[in-house]
Amino acid sequence: MGLTLNHFLVLGALLFCIGLYGALAKRNAIAVLMGIEIMLNAVNITLVGFSFYNHVKPYSTYLTGQIFAIFIITVAAAEAAVALAMIIAIYRRRSTVDVGEIDMMKW
Amino acid sequence: MDLATVIFWIIAFVLVGSALTVVIQRNIVHSALALILVFAMAAGIYLLLNAEFIAIVQILIYAGAVAVLILFALMLTRTSNIQTNSNPNGKLWWVALPICTLIAVGIIFATTVSPRVTTATTNLVAYGGSGVCAIPPNNVIYIGMLLYSPTCYSYVLPFEIASVVLLVAIVGAIVIGRED
Amino acid sequence: MALYDYSWLILLSPLFAFAAIVFGTRIWDLSSRPHEEAAAAHEDAHAVEEQHGGDSETHAEHNGDIELIETTGPHGEKIILEDLEDPKVPQLTTGAKVSGYLGILIMALACLYSWIILLASTGVLPIAPPLPPGGIHLSAISYTWLQQPGPTANYLIGFRLNNLAIAMMVVVTSVSLLVQFYSQGYMEDSAGYARFYAYLSLFAFSMLMIVFAENFLVIFIGWELVGLSSYLLIGFWINKKAKPAEDRLSPASASIEAFIVNRVGDVGFIIGIMILFVNTGTFNFADLAGPASNPLSVAHNFANNQSLLTIAMILVFCGAIGKSAQVPLQVWLPPAMEGPTPVSALIHAATMVAAGVYMVAVTFPLFASAGPAAFGVVAWIGGITALFAATIAVAQMDFKRVLAFSTISQLGYMFVGLGVAGQVYGPGPGMFHLFTHAFFKALLFLGAGSVLHALHHAMHREVQDVRLMGGLAKYMPITAITWLIAVLAISGFPFFAGFFSKDTIISLAFDQGNYGLWAITLLTAGITAFYMLRAYILAFGGKGGSFGGLWGGTYRGTGEPHESPTTITLPLILLAIASILAGYWTGFFSYIQPGAPNLNIVEVLTNPLTWLGVVVSLIGLGWAYFLYTRFEFAAINDFVQRNALLRVMHRILLRKYYVDDLYNLFIRYVVLGISHIEQAFDTYVVDGLVNGAARLVVTVGRDVRHIETGRVQTYMVGIFGGVVVLIVFVFVLVNFVK
Repeated sequence: MGLTLNHFLVLGALLFCIGLYGALAKRNAIAVLMGIEIMLNAVNITLVGFSFYNHVKPYSTYLTGQIFAIFIITVAAAEAAVALAMIIAIYRRRSTVDVGEIDMMKW
Repeated sequence: MDLATVIFWIIAFVLVGSALTVVIQRNIVHSALALILVFAMAAGIYLLLNAEFIAIVQILIYAGAVAVLILFALMLTRTSNIQTNSNPNGKLWWVALPICTLIAVGIIFATTVSPRVTTATTNLVAYGGSGVCAIPPNNVIYIGMLLYSPTCYSYVLPFEIASVVLLVAIVGAIVIGRED
Repeated sequence: MALYDYSWLILLSPLFAFAAIVFGTRIWDLSSRPHEEAAAAHEDAHAVEEQHGGDSETHAEHNGDIELIETTGPHGEKIILEDLEDPKVPQLTTGAKVSGYLGILIMALACLYSWIILLASTGVLPIAPPLPPGGIHLSAISYTWLQQPGPTANYLIGFRLNNLAIAMMVVVTSVSLLVQFYSQGYMEDSAGYARFYAYLSLFAFSMLMIVFAENFLVIFIGWELVGLSSYLLIGFWINKKAKPAEDRLSPASASIEAFIVNRVGDVGFIIGIMILFVNTGTFNFADLAGPASNPLSVAHNFANNQSLLTIAMILVFCGAIGKSAQVPLQVWLPPAMEGPTPVSALIHAATMVAAGVYMVAVTFPLFASAGPAAFGVVAWIGGITALFAATIAVAQMDFKRVLAFSTISQLGYMFVGLGVAGQVYGPGPGMFHLFTHAFFKALLFLGAGSVLHALHHAMHREVQDVRLMGGLAKYMPITAITWLIAVLAISGFPFFAGFFSKDTIISLAFDQGNYGLWAITLLTAGITAFYMLRAYILAFGGKGGSFGGLWGGTYRGTGEPHESPTTITLPLILLAIASILAGYWTGFFSYIQPGAPNLNIVEVLTNPLTWLGVVVSLIGLGWAYFLYTRFEFAAINDFVQRNALLRVMHRILLRKYYVDDLYNLFIRYVVLGISHIEQAFDTYVVDGLVNGAARLVVTVGRDVRHIETGRVQTYMVGIFGGVVVLIVFVFVLVNFVK
């Protein structure tokens, strides 16, 4: 069987949900961040897949998916930097990176 | 069953496997290493999709910068020397599991077997018709043209905005992360 | 006809007097009282307070003893105050006196005008033609209150003047004038003098509003206003305490009882009016009483449904039962004697209680159109009340209370007169008795006031018990002779006023074939004669007096009573003259209802039944004379107490057939019982619901706030949980909904 778009879409969906689980169910803040990175990668795979299997003209001619993926990578990197800076700042104050303990907006 | 398909399946399995490792593994450093593997396999997928530039950028930025950043952060935020489970599950993990499963099932259903999936190619009206240049021979050159070209169809504006975002991120990370 | 067109001035002038007194002269009076007076009054009040130990009004009912407090009175003499009465002033200020003069002046002008109108409309004074048969509509003060097309809102404030109204108006203004004149002397040392005149003027206005009313709406407004005035006037002595030893309430309680019992009657009244309005679309008396061709009349609208009209009229009569103190709502009138005696004379003898009679007279055609049950109810309730009250009056010791029951009894007579008259005579006989009764009952009350005034001065405390009177005729001759005239009038002694009016009613009952009522009224006449002469002899005569015990005798009280001043005795004399002459207006029946046969004095005197009535009255008078002039009161009392049957009968009559006690029990256990249940309902169910709702909100809030954990992961779980729900939803829609 040849590779179709569906393969990449399913792969992206699975990765997205694995990343989502990591973001929802982990207590270490950095583990949450890793889950988010996985989600972003899944989205990238989906986008580049759409760009390759030019079902959406003319955007596939213009490689819209790949450009979109470039920008996602850019922003993900920036966001990871800021997030990790925040985690380190929180660690300095509270000596913990457990997101379960950062609940000052609690009722 | 040609070569591309075989390679795809291998890369896919490793990818999903290492993603699972990231979220399941109890030692967080092991999770971080598995994350590097995820990035690398994603780059492989891009290569399969003829997106060489994206693949290289993925390796450079994700596996190169982001993963190292994560590892540094892990090093700086160790809570105790001896910790059996440095990557514990939250209180609501049993709620998140079915949620994620159902979302996965939903997305897969919607994109593959749903009766409303269209596979026909659509032909949207092209716009921005200042100039349709010839398609360059190479993915890298093409992406360069798409990002910077002043005459052909290009994404110059998003590029500039992305650079502002990066600037803000740099400044922000420094401000947040400094000691005072 | 201008004479009649300006008659609305008679209606509005007392209102003007009320406003002028309340907003003008009373303020003058209050502001001109010297301040040392206020300080002295304070000291007196403090002295009294100390002695009482701070006893408050509400505990008075439990206080059986009479505490005697000595203070100084208005003339410097020592006075023993039994309770905190109306504050006294040594001298009336100018403002107060002007209030009195203003009220009297306006009432005098109104009285004069109403007499002129009366004389003109009867033809005695040829200055204006008599009124047209339907009366005239006083458009100067009538207006539309609310009028919408359709039957639901048709409220006109209308006033009219007809012969019936003129007759009543004359009674009201004359008695009001005499009472206001009398109050100058009676209330001379009262600090609330100006307020008293204001209330008297308000009452006159309200009563005249009933008299001039053209429709049920206005008569009801006047009805309630007289109830209000009665409340204010009965409770005039606000601070006065109850005297349980003498079975007397405090004036405050009595005024509330009067108002509430009146209200009970008004429930029926309102329902009756509403039934009429719903079926005919109008409140107007003339329209309701019109012929069947008038689409607003009862003849037109109730043609197929006479039983509903009967029920409506009986309900309307309920209002009269309440206002005129008939059985079963007679319980408020004896306690209403707690008010000042001029008030009792004006309101509870001559005018307000007659409002019920007047109302039935005005709506006479409606009663006639209803079934015979309507008039039957009126007449029989009147008859039963007459007998009931007369028997109670036989055993009473309180001077004013005897007169109160006498009033109830005579009102019963008036209703009998209205009930048995039939279409031929119309409201004439009943109104005629009202007309004559007003004069001699007012005379009786004012005379009683004169006696009480004198005894208060003599014994330095309030005395109303006949056991402490006796032989007063030699001290107070004018009061005694006028009282005797009134007693003879009310007993139906030949040639006095009551003779003609009572006899007409008794013979009408016989002529209509209503032998039961005839027997009741005849018997009541005898009992009335008995107890009235009993009261007279116990107060003014006694064993050993001249004229065989009628004049003077042994005085059982202390002190030296003397005759009252002219302001008190002059009205007595005038009313005595009226008590004799009022019966001779023979044209009364045809004046009220054109076409009715007039009072034929010759025929009255030649009818053997008349003399039967006279004989019965004379038996009553004779028995009282024999009993109370031959024996001492104490001896009679002992005899009654020793005989078992007489003792029981006396007890029943003294306790007014225990009706008061029955009502008290009913209210305490049934009414207050229900209200306790409802209060529990209010506290537990209603408040429980309201507080429970609040508690629910608080509890829900306290539990729901746990959703806000402060952790972003929880929120994300929520978001994606919602996404899952949407996915399921879309799945269902995509697959199963075509």
